[in-house]
Amino acid sequence: MKLFLFAFLLMVAVLPQSQEPPAKQTCVLRLNARVKWDGAEKLRALQRKRFFLIPGTLEQNRALIDAIERQTLTSRDCYYQKLGASPALINWLKEGDCESVYCRGVEKDLVTGPKAVPEFASAYAASQKEYGNEETALRWLTTNVPPDMRDGFYRDRQRVIQELLKQASSVQSVMTDRNGTAYFTDLGPGTYVLSNLIPSELGQKLVTWNCQVTIRPEDLATEKPYSLSKCVGVEKPMPVCAAD
Amino acid sequence: MTRIKTLIVLFLICVHPCLSVAAIDYSKFSHATPKHRAACNTCHKITFPDIKDYPSHDACVSCHRPQFFRGAKPPICSVCHSKTSPRDDARLAFRNPAIKLQFAIEFPHDKHQDVIAMLQFSHAAPQNYYNCTVCHGQRTATFKAVPTEHASCFNCHWKSQQPVADNCNGCHKPATPYTPADAPTRISAKFVHEGGGIADKKHVRECATCHINITKSASSRGLKPDVPITACTECHNKVGLRQDLNNELAALKKNRTYTCNYCHAPSVGNLDPPASHFAIAEFPSFKRKDIK
Repeated sequence: MKLFLFAFLLMVAVLPQSQEPPAKQTCVLRLNARVKWDGAEKLRALQRKRFFLIPGTLEQNRALIDAIERQTLTSRDCYYQKLGASPALINWLKEGDCESVYCRGVEKDLVTGPKAVPEFASAYAASQKEYGNEETALRWLTTNVPPDMRDGFYRDRQRVIQELLKQASSVQSVMTDRNGTAYFTDLGPGTYVLSNLIPSELGQKLVTWNCQVTIRPEDLATEKPYSLSKCVGVEKPMPVCAAD
Repeated sequence: MTRIKTLIVLFLICVHPCLSVAAIDYSKFSHATPKHRAACNTCHKITFPDIKDYPSHDACVSCHRPQFFRGAKPPICSVCHSKTSPRDDARLAFRNPAIKLQFAIEFPHDKHQDVIAMLQFSHAAPQNYYNCTVCHGQRTATFKAVPTEHASCFNCHWKSQQPVADNCNGCHKPATPYTPADAPTRISAKFVHEGGGIADKKHVRECATCHINITKSASSRGLKPDVPITACTECHNKVGLRQDLNNELAALKKNRTYTCNYCHAPSVGNLDPPASHFAIAEFPSFKRKDIK
């Protein structure tokens, strides 16, 4: 009987707390990816770049960092040159800092006339034949661009990223907007490595960032800013394309 | 004795579900039925540029011939046809909005952001929302629509770029039948996408500026269009500009029954403010029940 009474009192004492668990507080890390490149005086936004936040310190992620720094990637220009892409397509991709043909709208002047990109012109011709009208042929043009030419460069880079990420867990990745801003959310206290995993092409250089960011308990329920300009990037010259 | 035995057997057949033949309601179609789990293109023939109609009769007749020719108004016809009559071939809308959805869509926003984030057309009107408007058109002043036509996907995924048109399972994942919400649950129900001042339209920004979780979402499962309070307070709670959040918290501090209404409808405005609101306003936190 006494045991029963004790158990009942214990339940009464514990119940109110278990009914209302404290809300889990997390932090938002606001990444401001604005850096200088090509000798510019002002910081410029790194637009549409993907960054990763990996739990652990730089030391704890040493193997991953080493793998990032060891990687030999081809540049966009070299990839497309090797594939035999036309200079017009290479320039079109470069103008928009594109990793695939999906990143910009292909308009009529790029499929016919003096500005035409040969790869788009032949895809357009095939699409016209297949879909029967000009509007759809233009809108669905990418379905007739050969896969490697269409997004092979992007897929190659994704393969490298996925391979690197096998060495880490609970990794968040976000893409910067046109102001170079991106947000990592639901972060608990701890140390993280901010990385772009694969180098970004900035002018004539390839730049990789791997920096340590600490979220302190007092940062919870706040938005903590982090400027990429504080992080020293590892710069490498753009690789020279191998001659065929 | 034999009569009693017969009666018992008849009774058992009538009442025991295992022994009786369950009446199948052929007016209801389920993809969960084992024989309906064949490859999608067994029944659904993909025709350019979209899938706009129900499978042809062949898809059903191959197994359901008896049900097709049962009575003047075979119930099975009502799965697709608005009138069950051989003289009327009118069909229900495809897909029938009155029927619960049997598949959920798997859509990785992150991959799509990667490849189409810069998609712009020089001839188009200014693309204030950038790539999101490729799929999310305007529905009302507050909500964006979700794509409902396959053509939204097929312009890239028609062939060769997986999941392609006949790989239905690449996007459509079997789910417990559900009725989709008419509109997403809103926390800040009073927000207007085209707002932020009549002339300035300061709310018209890149979508990911406020919907900060979109670019990291590898799946649409559990994805909410959540926007952090800081996206609002950048303008709405800034010294020398506006103090909307502080004003609301101050009003609530004075009156425990106050409904926060600058942003919220009563369903949310009558709750305790979350920690994020106190933190961003640098306001000492409290709960309604503790207000004297």
